[in-house]
Amino acid sequence: MMHQLSRLGGVTLKTLESLGRSVIFLVMGLRLPVRGGLKLLLAQIHFIGVLSLPIVVVSGTFIGMVLALQGYVVLVGFSAEEALGQMVAMSLLRELAPVVTALLFAGRAGSALTAEIGLMKATEQLTSMEMIGVDPLKRVIAPRLWAGFISLPVLTVFFSVVGILGGYLVGVDWLGVYSGSFWSTMQSSVMFTDDILNGMLKSVVFALVVTWIAVFQGYDLEPTSEGISRATTRTVVYGSLAVLGLDFILTALMFGDI
Amino acid sequence: MNDSNLVEVADLSFSRSGRQIFSGVNLSIPRGKITAIMGPSGTGKTTLLKLMGGQLTPDAGTVHIAERNVHRLSRPELFRMRRRMGMLFQSGALFSDLSVFENVAFPLRVHTDLPESMIRDLTLIKLQAVGLRGANHLMPSELSGGMTRRVALARAIALDPDLIMYDEPFVGQDPISMGVLVKLIRQLNQAFDMTAVVVSHDIKETLTIADYVYVISDGRVMAKGTPDELATEQDPRVSQFVHGEPDGPVPFHYPTHTSFRNDMLKGSDTGKRGRS
Amino acid sequence: MKRSKWLECGVGVFVVAGFLGLVFLGLQVSGLSLSRANDTYTLYANFSNIGGLKERSRVTMAGVTVGHVTDISLDPKWYDARVTLAVDDDLKDKLSEDTTAAILTSGLLGEQYIGLTMGGSPDMLQDGGTIKDTQQALVLEELIQQLVSNFSKS
Repeated sequence: MMHQLSRLGGVTLKTLESLGRSVIFLVMGLRLPVRGGLKLLLAQIHFIGVLSLPIVVVSGTFIGMVLALQGYVVLVGFSAEEALGQMVAMSLLRELAPVVTALLFAGRAGSALTAEIGLMKATEQLTSMEMIGVDPLKRVIAPRLWAGFISLPVLTVFFSVVGILGGYLVGVDWLGVYSGSFWSTMQSSVMFTDDILNGMLKSVVFALVVTWIAVFQGYDLEPTSEGISRATTRTVVYGSLAVLGLDFILTALMFGDI
Repeated sequence: MNDSNLVEVADLSFSRSGRQIFSGVNLSIPRGKITAIMGPSGTGKTTLLKLMGGQLTPDAGTVHIAERNVHRLSRPELFRMRRRMGMLFQSGALFSDLSVFENVAFPLRVHTDLPESMIRDLTLIKLQAVGLRGANHLMPSELSGGMTRRVALARAIALDPDLIMYDEPFVGQDPISMGVLVKLIRQLNQAFDMTAVVVSHDIKETLTIADYVYVISDGRVMAKGTPDELATEQDPRVSQFVHGEPDGPVPFHYPTHTSFRNDMLKGSDTGKRGRS
Repeated sequence: MKRSKWLECGVGVFVVAGFLGLVFLGLQVSGLSLSRANDTYTLYANFSNIGGLKERSRVTMAGVTVGHVTDISLDPKWYDARVTLAVDDDLKDKLSEDTTAAILTSGLLGEQYIGLTMGGSPDMLQDGGTIKDTQQALVLEELIQQLVSNFSKS
């Protein structure tokens, strides 16, 4: 009994310690990057943003198409298929675009970040950078953190746009919903601040959390091949769970009173 | 404190995850000389270099480099001090996303405002010094182990440091690249008057280049002296190490509580403990 | 060097396209308009019940969108709803004084909007004028109630 209690205490302490370390890490990493940082930042936006574009665009299109298909089947029962545009746009902007993009981001970019930084740690590249007199937090971590914060919201916009266009393709071109009412129901119900900006705000929060988890897991891992593989898994699992949990909290705060 | 010593280590104690690695180590590293730190594997020689570089903080004791306490410096001051130090890592630790040229140019780019043409010249001079000017366009993944270490050496001396630390420079090298590295270390010391610390357990090579040798074991300095003095040292632990005898004061067997006979008769439950 | 130029271009295109996407969402999806605000004039209409009418609901004439609802408030004098309409400038001084405004529903459960029908009076509505002839929203519950009471009477 005492043994289990002390183990519980040990685990709690360890968790708190790692949490504290990660917060210090975030604060240190967010200080603006070094000289020539813009170039490093661009390279990282390319790596985690531009290269994630294909998977985001393809998933967005298909999710928009499926939404339109499913929505049509339900709405046509009330002969309210004109509201299809509203339904597709609302579900994409408020929920699906920020959440699904963040999940894809954790899988595609997050795991790559963790593995890359972990490998740099395992091969002593981070240590040697420190010995050269360059702070790896500024040189390696900061550009990656900022690139993540910038890339995910942009990817979310792409996801929403192609999702709505995919919904348009299925709803209007294939199922024959009148194009004018597709757009007009959408326009009269979607509010720029309430829906679009709130969705973007969600995405900014997700960007912060997912990138933070990915980069910290890479920086803090045990520098062995097993340690890298475990940290990569942790990035995807923790990242996805954090996105889903935060999504509920944010949704309750933003839309709960309606 | 002696002016002729670049590095002074006093009463250094350090423990990691409950294991005492150093208890009261005293070292002094004279300017312009090659000092070797030797000892069996697992005695924390690399840890000692990390303590000297300020990457780890000791439990007690001090490290002074050029009369400044390394562990009392603020982070920016420490980083400024490290520009005067070069370190050659065991794995080379080249930045895998940069070419050989860019790796060597890296310290120059981040610490100086030199124009591009000058950075190019300086980089090529360093690469020429290690004999790899022709390889400047290669990526680190295309290099052999010996070449990696030579590029890392060129990078470590890019800023012409006062102190250069070699972490196991001879491990895993074929005889030719071993010879090349020995020659380079000696040349750098003589031509540029760089103070060198060589951490190694390769006795033959180390004794040929070192001016002074410390042997560390069980967290303490066990012996010190010039290579000649060490070769004639009578202490059985030192002579076991220096002459590479398999058994002696450092036992061949990992310590165990049970006798071999009992272990054999006990059955099949020994050694089954897996990673939980 | 060539490679890094490409990379920088790619990132530039990525960010600009993302911004354009946001503009698309704003204009096409949420119906924000950049300069339309000064191209409209204001009319008022009082309804005894507006049903599900909301701000930004459409105002139509013969099915063509000619404006939108900008504000809905309770008129404390008559306890009815006072709806502010922004109508396209093209129709300024062209709507007769006896124009009717009705709250209509697109489809059985669709959105509600205001339909304007031209009257015959020679006098025209001025900017800030009030439409007097209004027709309240069709509320399903009231309709059913009427139906039930009619049945029980007969």
